Amino acid sequence: MRDGDALENNPEVTRSALEAIHGQVFGWALSRCYYDQAAAEDLMQQAYVELLNGNARFDNKSSLKTFVFSVVQNLARSRYRRLASRLRLVKTYEATSFEPAVDMTDPGLDSEQGKRNSEIWQHVQQLPPRQRDIVELVFCREMTIEAASAVMGVTTGTGRVHYDRAKKALRSKIGELQ
Amino acid sequence: MNDQDLARAVRDSAATEATAPAFDKVWANAELSYFQSRRRYAWLASAAATVAAIVIVLNIATPPDDTINFIEMAELMDSTSWTAPSDVLLPEHQIDLYQDLPTLIESTKPVEGALL
Repeated sequence: MRDGDALENNPEVTRSALEAIHGQVFGWALSRCYYDQAAAEDLMQQAYVELLNGNARFDNKSSLKTFVFSVVQNLARSRYRRLASRLRLVKTYEATSFEPAVDMTDPGLDSEQGKRNSEIWQHVQQLPPRQRDIVELVFCREMTIEAASAVMGVTTGTGRVHYDRAKKALRSKIGELQ
Repeated sequence: MNDQDLARAVRDSAATEATAPAFDKVWANAELSYFQSRRRYAWLASAAATVAAIVIVLNIATPPDDTINFIEMAELMDSTSWTAPSDVLLPEHQIDLYQDLPTLIESTKPVEGALL
């Protein structure tokens, strides 16, 4: 039995449930697109299309949030892999630390707290990709390590290792700030 | 710094949700894209079905050719020829091979009163 606003090709997903996690999913999409707002919007739209046509089918094996985050992650991965191979820049792409298209820190950089936030966020961005992803998922998107690992497509054990290493690295960097 | 303080520091340093576009707008665009692609596939499927139907109708409408075409034997024989490689040995080719029996040498050794 489908809910009133359940999707035709994805009966376990409702429009209202998607709306409830929209903000968080957008934050994740934004980080997948190196903070390019237009690209993130496009990525989200593509993720919703995948849900609408049933190519990405939710079967209640995880939470909806974990599932949608995984869809966004996979779409971003395939999109940037295509782009990288097209431009033959895979090596440079991996070696280069991307500069965010927009400053994602809180406004008010003049203040001491604003400056500190900016520095912390820079340290997060300088972490290796997997560590950066798990920190973002666990700290900013309030996911468990298990769910974050599922989104990243790694085992929970591997996720824990990345999480511990990221925490150690961040503690030492943030400690230097104080 | 414990885990909670670290998490708070990282969370405070990133403010991304404020820039999220309206759900309705993104959802409407996604639906539009989905329905457009569905229409496109429906159009392609109907075009393929129409072509298939036309081919079937044409096949049914065209009567099969029932006339039986026999092969004329004389025509067939005239159109082919074959010569054996050994034909050059035949008398008509004017080569005197085996036309006269060779003369055998007579025996001079008697055995039980007769020559071999």
